[in-house]
Amino acid sequence: MTAEFGYSADREEASAAQVRALEALLIEKGIITSGTVDKVLGYFESEMTPLNGRKIVVKAWTDPEFAELVVRDTPAAVAQLDLPIGMAGAEGEHLAAVANGPGVHNVVICTLCSCFPWPVLGLPPYWYKDPVFRSRAAREPRVVLAELGVPIPDDTEVRVWDSSGHSRWFVIPERPAGTDGMSDDELAALVTTESMMGVALAGASR
Amino acid sequence: MSGDHEHDDYDPEAGFHPSCVSDQARPTFDADWQRRAFGLAVALSEFGHYPWDAFQKELIGSIGSWQDAPADARGRWEYYQHWVAALSSVVDRNGLLEEGYVNPEDREGGVQHAG
Repeated sequence: MTAEFGYSADREEASAAQVRALEALLIEKGIITSGTVDKVLGYFESEMTPLNGRKIVVKAWTDPEFAELVVRDTPAAVAQLDLPIGMAGAEGEHLAAVANGPGVHNVVICTLCSCFPWPVLGLPPYWYKDPVFRSRAAREPRVVLAELGVPIPDDTEVRVWDSSGHSRWFVIPERPAGTDGMSDDELAALVTTESMMGVALAGASR
Repeated sequence: MSGDHEHDDYDPEAGFHPSCVSDQARPTFDADWQRRAFGLAVALSEFGHYPWDAFQKELIGSIGSWQDAPADARGRWEYYQHWVAALSSVVDRNGLLEEGYVNPEDREGGVQHAG
């Protein structure tokens, strides 16, 4: 595979040069300023993080009315929380939550179109965008989940949700047993990005 | 960010990306150009140069062509190369770099630029 390395290093450099040239041209034409991309990236990296999703999940775990609303009308539920969701075009308005519970486990997939629910989960992990993850998760979700360390009992239904421009799905994982006396912060620490994608359980230690 | 390139030989047809079974808040971008390309695509959409759907359509097209090509006739899987291809297409299609392009905020009465 070392022969391939030179090839991909060239492609890397070509892509890097293409992006630099495009940004420079757009700045030169006055379409953006030299600070625009950093400002947008800064907003994403500081505000659109899994912390938002964790707050939504903890609220759903601790408030039955919210738990009911968040799956029925996700944007309305999210609007009740003081989250930095705005700046929309690219994401927020089509958020849709599905809840795991007894007998049901949900998994969210999407490789094709960058429809990850950024506002609540942050940016997707690298592997999420791999074609093989998406196609295998769609075809044989139980096998994939077992490989990821999440064996699903035979009598539990697995539902696979394909995120799209219309619905950016995320999962409300099940609240782990033995967490009754925990504070919201302690509960939030149990909620991983993976658990909100349905490829891990909340509170699963590694 | 060290260790991000340890999976450079990853072949998506062969199985899961190695990070798939060990990922916990793994860095999203392997290189700064990927981060810039991401930021550019989002920024241009946010400021009204094209709807996000238009970018997504280009990205779906680019990835679809890769998936439909015979395995020996296509390059290694690299998500952000598709992202860059989609960004270039959507910028071209919307004429951002053409003479006389008018910024959305300068368009009269919010009327969409026709040319």
